[in-house]
Amino acid sequence: MKPPMKRRRTFQRRKVCVFCADSGMKIDYKDVKTLNHFVTERGKILPRRISGNCAKHQRDITQAIKKARNISLLAFSVFGS
Amino acid sequence: MRRYETIFIANPDLSEEDQNALQEKVRSIVASFKGEFVKLEDWGLRKLSYQIRKSSRGRYFLVDYLAEAPALVRELERTLRLNDGVLKFLTVKTSARVTSEQIQALKAASPADKTIRLEERPAAPEPTPAPVEAAKTEAGGEEK
Repeated sequence: MKPPMKRRRTFQRRKVCVFCADSGMKIDYKDVKTLNHFVTERGKILPRRISGNCAKHQRDITQAIKKARNISLLAFSVFGS
Repeated sequence: MRRYETIFIANPDLSEEDQNALQEKVRSIVASFKGEFVKLEDWGLRKLSYQIRKSSRGRYFLVDYLAEAPALVRELERTLRLNDGVLKFLTVKTSARVTSEQIQALKAASPADKTIRLEERPAAPEPTPAPVEAAKTEAGGEEK
């Protein structure tokens, strides 16, 4: 028998959108280095709850990633080892 | 005028002349439709994230230009589509309205007739990045 799960609410610091924090940062589909921070190692787009982006910038990032995928700067999916 | 940028991936097996011919073709199309050419960047050979037409590498070119009519974009894309040396392309509108003053400023800022190689972009402070990197690796070797 498993011991009863202890529900502990860990307080997580609210993440702040990096693009809002640093207004000098621009979202560009050609900037693979930046976009790479917002995809998993399998090439999926990181959800907002992980990346901490605000809605606006998450939308922009998503669009940029999709453009980059189209022109083969980013992968649609990474599989295998 | 509207500002567009088109990235196209050329087949890496293409000869140097064919690559140049391709660049010239792009320029002539922009000129013939009374567009303003801003810049053409040569990103060089890059590894593709996925194979396109069995090719895992491609030579990237970025064309930045202004167009009055969408016919220019249509013609450019048509040409790229018909060209066998082009693996893929993507056109993005970067600005919906560019005034004539801004066009003048753009023209003054960059020589439109030259192909910018990514290595010699004006943004890079060091003109010769390769020796610096080589020196770094040498230093690393010495530490070991």
